[in-house]
Amino acid sequence: MHCQQKCPNEDGRDCFVRYVNTKVIKRMENFRIRNSTIGNPRLFLLPLSFGVSSVALLHLLDSQLQGQIDRMNRTGYGLLVVHVNMPSTAPTGIYMKRLQQRYPRHTHFHVDLAELFDYPNGILESSGKSGLSQALGAPDGQVSNQDKLDHLLDSLPSATSRADMLGILRTRLLVEIAKKRGCEGIMWGDSTTRLAEKTLAETAKGRGFSLPWQISDGASPHSLVFRYPLRDLLKKELVTYASLTTPPLDPIIIPEQTPQALTSKNTTIDDLVTNYFQSVEESFPSIVANVVRTSGKLSAHQPFGGGERCTICEMPITAGSGGLHGWGGDQGKLGPSSSDPHPVEKLCYGCARSTLGATFSARTASQG
Amino acid sequence: MPPSSCAICSSRALIVRPKNHQKLCKSCFLSIFEEEIHHTITTNTLFQYGERVAIGASGGKDSTVLASVLKTLNERHDYGVDFVLLSIDEGIKGYRDDSLETVKRNAVQYGMELCIVGYDELYGWTMDQVVEQVGKKGNCTYCGVFRRQALDRGAAKLGINHVVTGHNADDIAETVLMNLLRGDLPRLSRTTHIITSSPSSPIKRSKPLKYAYEKEIVLYAHHKKLDYFSTECIYSPEAFRGSARALIKNLERVRPSAILDVVRSGEDMAKLVPEEVSAIQRCAGKNEAIQEGGGEEGFGGCGSGGGRSSGGEMIDMERRLNENEAAREREIDIAPANITSKDTPPIQKITVRQQGARTPRKLPRQHMGQCIRCGYLSSQEICKACMLLDGLNKNRPKTKIEVSLEDGEGSSALKG
Ligand SMILES: [Zn+2]
Ligand SMILES: [Zn+2]
Ligand SMILES: [Zn+2]
Repeated sequence: MHCQQKCPNEDGRDCFVRYVNTKVIKRMENFRIRNSTIGNPRLFLLPLSFGVSSVALLHLLDSQLQGQIDRMNRTGYGLLVVHVNMPSTAPTGIYMKRLQQRYPRHTHFHVDLAELFDYPNGILESSGKSGLSQALGAPDGQVSNQDKLDHLLDSLPSATSRADMLGILRTRLLVEIAKKRGCEGIMWGDSTTRLAEKTLAETAKGRGFSLPWQISDGASPHSLVFRYPLRDLLKKELVTYASLTTPPLDPIIIPEQTPQALTSKNTTIDDLVTNYFQSVEESFPSIVANVVRTSGKLSAHQPFGGGERCTICEMPITAGSGGLHGWGGDQGKLGPSSSDPHPVEKLCYGCARSTLGATFSARTASQG
Repeated sequence: MPPSSCAICSSRALIVRPKNHQKLCKSCFLSIFEEEIHHTITTNTLFQYGERVAIGASGGKDSTVLASVLKTLNERHDYGVDFVLLSIDEGIKGYRDDSLETVKRNAVQYGMELCIVGYDELYGWTMDQVVEQVGKKGNCTYCGVFRRQALDRGAAKLGINHVVTGHNADDIAETVLMNLLRGDLPRLSRTTHIITSSPSSPIKRSKPLKYAYEKEIVLYAHHKKLDYFSTECIYSPEAFRGSARALIKNLERVRPSAILDVVRSGEDMAKLVPEEVSAIQRCAGKNEAIQEGGGEEGFGGCGSGGGRSSGGEMIDMERRLNENEAAREREIDIAPANITSKDTPPIQKITVRQQGARTPRKLPRQHMGQCIRCGYLSSQEICKACMLLDGLNKNRPKTKIEVSLEDGEGSSALKG
């Protein structure tokens, strides 16, 4: 048992639960009742993957809200809980049902990632050939959303690129949902460990420029507020916590799949980094936290007002720094003869990298 | 399967480029490798016509390839640069003895002047003696700090104000990750600049191989049949570096561009490091960073060890971070606890007690000055090298050897 203080309790259980609560409440100070106005509750989207972290977050915030109701008979904010069905996830019906039963206070729903194509003004618009749809070369015509998504993913050059794009598409879908439902922002379930992973993985994918917007609390380039209330808790602490609540959270947590061998052809950069921090977290938990503190000090110089945005991930691009070209490491015409399929598109370095060599351009062209 | 043909000239391809898996014939590989370095040199205006430039030469693959490529490009593109080989003798038996022989041969092969500076002359200590005293753990600190000054002093002796080093893309990517793990943003920021200089030292540093992959450097040396010394430094890299190195190798395996991508991220992140953290006064040159003289810019002193390490540095840092954390927690406890009344629910109680923790901590601003001992640029009164020497000399058993830092320029270090 991981007990921080001298604990009067034999097994340290209460003490640990309080420790976890404290860490979250500290991050949720702005969400007390006195900061809310009656009749106009602030609403936040809580993406729930049925992993231990997001379930723990829901539980913790739900307890905070319960406390507010007990004292004041109203809450400082409301939650909309959403699960995104990813192409690889198993059916979650039974888990959705349990979730609903356990936390009836909130609205719960699930969406398929492919619903991204339904957002009209958006991102994956299928008819207008604008935005992300064009950038990613999704096919036109009478094809189902799922087919479009499959096509898009199949055309990406590697497992790393697919995982990278899936993460971005998921974020963009959640942003669209949050906006449509009138949410002020998104409550992410990322633990310290996850944020440290993100720091290194995004760095490795050439997305270091976007870190200030990816791991810090506050305004995001998607014109929504992003919050990370679990940023001070390690993944392993959340695992412990999930077993200590009454009743435990296990029934609504989908057990993690044992990761495949890291030598497999399908290994991704995210897999490598996750695996790396699993071992670092074991022996050097403070170093994990320090990575997050460190990347948290990176600050975006300009606000994301009028500047250019990446068509795919929506991150701000400083003038002239988009795409793979035009920086020191770009060897100009010396490199492989320009196979960059997006000469016109405004892509950030990371998205240009992930879609380099994607086969969709040719396929889209042949379709008309 | 028919033999693949070269992507550039259509003759038979023999090489798959590690950087992008392009299939090339031998001569196209050699020339594209050279021209990419030429590209780096010209786009960053690394050299001036008529300039005298020292190549930090260890006899290892990186600096040997650097010397060879620079000789080739200097002739091909008429840089008009006078290149000199500058070697440091750390005094590691069986390591430098042989590698210095290699450098001496290189000097003849490339028709370049050679200057060798010894740690014993500069510091009164060879690395072997340092290790004898401090043990294998932590000796990389000494190696790195001492080497940096040694190169500058050697260059100064030759009247040269520009040293090029063989740091490659892998080294830089590794250092970016390592400094994220160590929480060292100032170093992260410095690492990624292709040119570094310091106001108190007239010596400028640059890294023409900044975007060159280690694997391609090895391939180049192999196909050009270069004479280099391949035994790696026998002292292990520190744990953070070893850990970052292993991760970089894995990333490269999964996505070959990852090394370049980390370098790119590092460059972008350097621009996001707040001024008060970076302690960098940006000067006119867009790719220049001014750096503290006492510390290597985050590159370990020892070349490429096998990545084995004791983990000592990580354990130390973990402990230090824990102590800081404990100190913070204590601060929080002093915050008003008097509001806690029996009927306040526990969560509310905690909220109140936690308020003390919200005040953002001021980052100590680094002030750059000169070391009072040796005049080197330093954020401290006494630079890192001089502090390390103090520690060493205090514990030196008997005859204290006078350190020739003050008159470093006087004693002869020309051996080659
Ligand atoms: Zn992007
Ligand atoms: Zn060829
Ligand atoms: Zn000094």
